[in-house]
Amino acid sequence: MSSNELTLTPSQSPGLVKSPLSISPSGSLGAVRRPVNTTGWREWLFTVDHKKIGIMYGCVAFVFFIVGGVEALFIRLQLALPDGRILSADKYNQMFTMHATTMIFLFAMPMAAAFANYFLPLQIGARDVAFPRLNALSFWLFVSGGLILNASWFLGGAADGGWFMYAPNSGPVFSPSNGVDFWVLGLQIAGIASLIGSINLIVTVLNMRAPGMTLMKMPVFTWMILVVQFLLVFSLPVITVALVLLMFQRSYGATFFDVSQGADPLLWQHLFWIFGHPEVYVLILPGFGIISEVLPTFSRKPLFGYPFVVFSGASIGLVGFGVWAHHMFASGLGPVSVAVFSMATMAIAIPTGVKIFNWLLTMWGGKIWYSAAMKFAIGLVILFTIGGLSGVTHAVAPSDTQQTDTYYIVAHFHYVLFGGMVFGLFSGFYYWWPKVFGKMLNEKLGSWNFWLMVIGMNLTFGPMHILGLQGQPRRMYVWTEARAGEGFFNFGFWNLVSSIGSFVLSVGVLFFIINVIKTTRNPERAPLDPWDARTLEWLTTSPPKVHNFDRIPVVHHLDEFFHRKYVEDETTHAMTQIATGEDLMRAEEAAADTGIHMPGPSYWPLLLAIGVAVLGMGVIYGTPIMVVGALVVLFSSFGWVLEPSVPEPIDFDSPSTDGHTKEIAPLG
Amino acid sequence: MDIVNNVKSSSHRIRNSIATVIGIVALSGCATNAPQDTWQPKGDNAQVINNLQWIIFPMAGVVGVLVFAFAAYTFWKFNDRGQPIPSQSHGKPVVEIILTIIPALILTVVGVFTFRGIFELANTEDTEMVINVTGQQWWWEYDYPAQDDQGITQPIISSGQLVIPVGTKVLLRETSRDVIHSYWIPALNGKKDAVPGRINLLRLQADKPGIFAGQCTEFCGLSHANMRMEAIALSKEDFAKWVANQQKDYTSPAAGSLANEGEGVFLNQCIRCHQVNGLKKADGTPALAAPDENVYSGAAPNLSHLMSRNTFAGAKFDLLRKSCRSDVWDASSETIGAKYLAGVSESCLNATDLRAWLRNAPAMKPMYADPAKLGASGGKYRGMPNLGLTETDIDKLVAYLLTLK
Repeated sequence: MSSNELTLTPSQSPGLVKSPLSISPSGSLGAVRRPVNTTGWREWLFTVDHKKIGIMYGCVAFVFFIVGGVEALFIRLQLALPDGRILSADKYNQMFTMHATTMIFLFAMPMAAAFANYFLPLQIGARDVAFPRLNALSFWLFVSGGLILNASWFLGGAADGGWFMYAPNSGPVFSPSNGVDFWVLGLQIAGIASLIGSINLIVTVLNMRAPGMTLMKMPVFTWMILVVQFLLVFSLPVITVALVLLMFQRSYGATFFDVSQGADPLLWQHLFWIFGHPEVYVLILPGFGIISEVLPTFSRKPLFGYPFVVFSGASIGLVGFGVWAHHMFASGLGPVSVAVFSMATMAIAIPTGVKIFNWLLTMWGGKIWYSAAMKFAIGLVILFTIGGLSGVTHAVAPSDTQQTDTYYIVAHFHYVLFGGMVFGLFSGFYYWWPKVFGKMLNEKLGSWNFWLMVIGMNLTFGPMHILGLQGQPRRMYVWTEARAGEGFFNFGFWNLVSSIGSFVLSVGVLFFIINVIKTTRNPERAPLDPWDARTLEWLTTSPPKVHNFDRIPVVHHLDEFFHRKYVEDETTHAMTQIATGEDLMRAEEAAADTGIHMPGPSYWPLLLAIGVAVLGMGVIYGTPIMVVGALVVLFSSFGWVLEPSVPEPIDFDSPSTDGHTKEIAPLG
Repeated sequence: MDIVNNVKSSSHRIRNSIATVIGIVALSGCATNAPQDTWQPKGDNAQVINNLQWIIFPMAGVVGVLVFAFAAYTFWKFNDRGQPIPSQSHGKPVVEIILTIIPALILTVVGVFTFRGIFELANTEDTEMVINVTGQQWWWEYDYPAQDDQGITQPIISSGQLVIPVGTKVLLRETSRDVIHSYWIPALNGKKDAVPGRINLLRLQADKPGIFAGQCTEFCGLSHANMRMEAIALSKEDFAKWVANQQKDYTSPAAGSLANEGEGVFLNQCIRCHQVNGLKKADGTPALAAPDENVYSGAAPNLSHLMSRNTFAGAKFDLLRKSCRSDVWDASSETIGAKYLAGVSESCLNATDLRAWLRNAPAMKPMYADPAKLGASGGKYRGMPNLGLTETDIDKLVAYLLTLK
């Protein structure tokens, strides 16, 4: 590969690297000549750079966060008063189905993928992920899946069976619109995206860590992402099987869930929750990972009990595969199964508790800086604890049979997922924004953002505990005064509080958007190491260079970056600063590697994802469309295979008169 | 909350006295006698669950308070006041192990009680009465098989309101004719799904006469929110009267009356799906409903003694006017039996909703009842269609339905 290497000197910005190569396009390999232009919109559409893909994941996921949030506001508007008339029963059912589907599959998972994509290679001292083009394919498939899911709104109505899509209610008779078909196809495609992504990240972590970074010196965020990828690898195939069965039932007359043909509808429930429960940890562990970076940084102390946090994360992942039937305590499993799953569910509370204690003990004895990132991290610890404790109340199976399918459960999982996951992600936004964009988010607006979200979230979901225990079931498009109870503090009061809370929450999120706009307009650059951080992603410029690190760091410590800045007095254990982030950066630039080669951009991931989307549409709209999709898939697969991952010299334009290449693959 | 009266043994008493203090503080804002309150058990099975709730909720509350107190102290104590950067300690395994063992021990204790509760609730051996419960979009059917010791000599088919005798261990055998539903009367027990192709068992027992509200709690499609039910517990004497009434022979309304004309309308329209036991066609042959030809799930509510219930259309609407309804619903456990057995009189009838329902049912409750949109179900309705009845027909039908005591 040495013939492909380009020379890089630290003083040059990547786009202006002098190419020693003289090239004619005619000899290009592959189906068509590969893209080498890295400017304008093409820079994004054809990129394979993990950082650009991470940013795109983040942007698209945030758009879906808004979409899912607006759906939630419709739900709360409808339920603010008895016998709401904002939405019809049909529209309401679509709304709550799509709210959950959007938030889980199109916001939470891809937003975690955004963080993983961007920071995982940086945290392990790598220059990109193991399979950069597959990484781009993951992203474009996720976009395809998301568009298909939401296209249903305009093509006859969205899916209306709930995100759990229980059979036989999801069958062709009981859900006659195409909504469920769009849902089945969108999720299959988004599932391929996650599956590819998980394999990619597992290989990246296992093979591409910097020298000296043993697994037990790996940052906790990277560890949690690794656990999540294993969960995905083992759980996604199960939901894929279920989705394929459902697709064949709906589109091709199969009878997998047709009771009149002898099917057992509980088959779907088992398949769904064998995926669905690990999925809960897929959603929450990235949040845990983020705050396990934020809490030590802003407490100026290492994470308390690093190995315990790592192993409790891994055991949550493992035990998470053995508790699925606690979603089915009312399904009639029989007392033995119920007892076993009840005990397993209690068992999973133990490693979760360990994590909470470790976070609190990380802060204990620290020097706490209450930045916006830290506030959100602390918010997670508190809100998740509330969600965890209410979770234990329905690990007790008989108690769960009173609570399941009531608003108590809605309260529980929003404390876990909104309080846990979303607060973790927002903590990550504030913590890493300067790293990604080179600018600091405004701390004052961040504080407004945080407090409005905390208040809004508790007003929205807190009353749902009471509503659920008073017996208000979920998934009902209206509630009635006949069941509302007496006095002032009846359903009416708590539902209204919850609806008002949802708007407070929205204003909180609005403050984040305002903050982003304000920050973007602010010309002031962020310092190199604004938080006195601890991990390797801070050992590069902000935003990082295309090739991430000027030289691959050699790791000696957990929290390597911190230990390059500080030395410990052997006897007093006092910490003395010996270098700043800027000092370290200068040292890196002075000793920069030459001849870094990076993977080149490619058309194929995007084209293949479009092909898969068209193929999927063919399932709904007929064979001819499927044939078109299949041809595109076939063509892009061949093109992909014939294209080397690192551009051949032949793919570059000849140098322009001023001696610089006009078009060049990033460091290609 | 009626906590003290529910205490059954001394161990409960100790536990509950601690729990009461916490519970009253926590629940004072929400003790509003909501009909589906999950903390007001009115029978043995719900009591078993409630006892477990009174273990786990206070325990979770205490753990929460301790954790939050520790957290708050940490936040305050270690705020950055210019102290030096702390030594980079990586933790203490002893602390970790202790903090792992403590929750494990707490959960082991909870687990023992849970285990006992699960098997206690699953016991069906000493059942005294069986009722078959079938869910369909969007109402419940009750089928009381003949049981001599309960005075039921021929099967009784009813819908919407489940009538049971107090102090009797009743076993519901649940199934469904279409999608999954879930039967839930919170005052009497937790919920159990009605799954098509399976029979799930749920035990109910009521201590005192009363009306206990419930709601289908497994999402079952368009009108899931409108699929309600009630359980009515009657004293054993009142239950015997109810059974006798349900088994009473059918009598046609007097010839020439409005109700008699209504019977004609019924035979012309309603009989296609709705059965009235004993009803005969003009030629004297039995009039048999054939819901399987018109309704996807193959069933429609049996209207034989419609006016002995006080709700209709999946218990979404009241058959009683508001004042008459509260007279029954708010009655004491001593008087409720007689009031319920009185049924629905003409003066108490909620004619507004009943007439609106007969005029255009799908406008009252979302259903799949548009004849043009039944392709997926092979032309069969899921719910009741608009029958296009004239106001005169409706007058006659209402008069007729009022005779179905």
